[in-house]
Amino acid sequence: MIEVQRVTKRYGATLAVDGVSCRIRRGEIVGFLGPNGAGKSTLLRMISTWLPPTAGTIRVAGFDVVRESLAVRRNIGYLTEHNALYETMRVERFLRFSGEARGLRGARLAERLEWVAGACSLEEVWNKHIQHCSKGFRQRIGLASALLHDPRVILLDEPTHGLDPLQVAAFLDFVRQLAPERAILFSSHVLSEVVAVSSRLLVIHHGRLLIDQAVDALRESAPAGDLEAHLLDVVRSASTRETPA
Amino acid sequence: MSDANRMSATAFARGTWVVTLRELASVFDSGVAYVYTVAFALLANSIFMNEFFLAGNVDMTAWFELLPLLLAFFLPAISMRLWAEERKSRTIEMLFTLPLRPMQAILGKYLAALGMFELFLCTSLPIPIMLAVLGAPDWGLIASGYVGLYLLGALFLAIGCLLSALARDQIVAFVTTTLVAFLLVLSGNDAVVAVLDGLAPSLALGSFLYEWVSVLPHYDSFVGGVIELSSLVYFLSLSALALYGCALALGKNRS
Repeated sequence: MIEVQRVTKRYGATLAVDGVSCRIRRGEIVGFLGPNGAGKSTLLRMISTWLPPTAGTIRVAGFDVVRESLAVRRNIGYLTEHNALYETMRVERFLRFSGEARGLRGARLAERLEWVAGACSLEEVWNKHIQHCSKGFRQRIGLASALLHDPRVILLDEPTHGLDPLQVAAFLDFVRQLAPERAILFSSHVLSEVVAVSSRLLVIHHGRLLIDQAVDALRESAPAGDLEAHLLDVVRSASTRETPA
Repeated sequence: MSDANRMSATAFARGTWVVTLRELASVFDSGVAYVYTVAFALLANSIFMNEFFLAGNVDMTAWFELLPLLLAFFLPAISMRLWAEERKSRTIEMLFTLPLRPMQAILGKYLAALGMFELFLCTSLPIPIMLAVLGAPDWGLIASGYVGLYLLGALFLAIGCLLSALARDQIVAFVTTTLVAFLLVLSGNDAVVAVLDGLAPSLALGSFLYEWVSVLPHYDSFVGGVIELSSLVYFLSLSALALYGCALALGKNRS
């Protein structure tokens, strides 16, 4: 579903992503971990077609993100890092716009709107202005917009940011339900959330992919089963190697 | 282009229209549209009444001659938000990751801005109605003037769209668009041309700007009742060029 091959992204002299390769298959929820500024959002933006890679190739659902960007965008649902929404619009109107921009119309649009309203529990705020919705509802509105066209690939960039623990638990449950038919890439810097929902972990640091391994295998290889300490060790030793003597 | 990446003309038009409707809804939801429209209606109609009572002519020529200055101020207020606001609120990433072509988003927003401008123009309709009641105005002259006004506004909005894509915030977009619009209008003013020519007679800067930069020579032909092909081409090609520049500016921002 998602194939990333030797992808590099430069912003002037800054190397944001450095030769990353990975693959995410249908039915997988892959956690994407890394400290702030590690390159997670940049890679997600390249997969979503928002940014072009400087080098390397990315294919989503079989389509190249540069040459077939429109086809890629038809196949992805993307919850952006800041989940920016049109504040002055009502929830129903915003989701209708989102659906129509994706080519949904008539009965199909009505059916999908009804589905996301129920699946994301938006009935309560359906006719409210987005600017009057709580953070939790706003995340759900962003997710509803990303799911409206029933995409095969879902990209979630820090989706639990700003949610309270109960909202996080509900959100992760919902993401789990979405998995069987889709490939989901879930970016976060909170290990417990990512581990709770993912079958595999990608760990990125300073633009380089340090780990691409199943969660269970990582747990087994972690000293005393302490996954967090193990991942921190990997990141620290990578930092040490990069620091000149 | 691969088949999967193709888009039919109908789908292109539909996607563009979806963006147009969203933009219009956003402007009306926020109340900005009502404030601008009422302010424009008051000023535009006041300008006409002033000229009408001074000259006592049953025509709109004097009004058409003054309107470019009003548009140079009002239309940047519409266009400033087109892209600067999307960037500031970070919704631009969401918009450009929808399955729309960038030109659909640009045209959609531009059409919405034109829609607002059309609403402005509608508020001036009491003027020709009043003239029809009071006498027998030259309808050809009035229609031609409106065509010129519409093309002039369309050009200002296209330039505003480009500068909004380049600017970091709405205020910068407003100020730069207003300056460019005033430059395009004032460089066709006889007094300004004379002053600039007088400053450096060997350069004849005023005459150069009048001939090559100003919109007024083209606009004035419409106001005078003459629809020239060269003036039509001037307005349409410059507007298209500004919108193409907007697409380039937005593309550059993403790389």
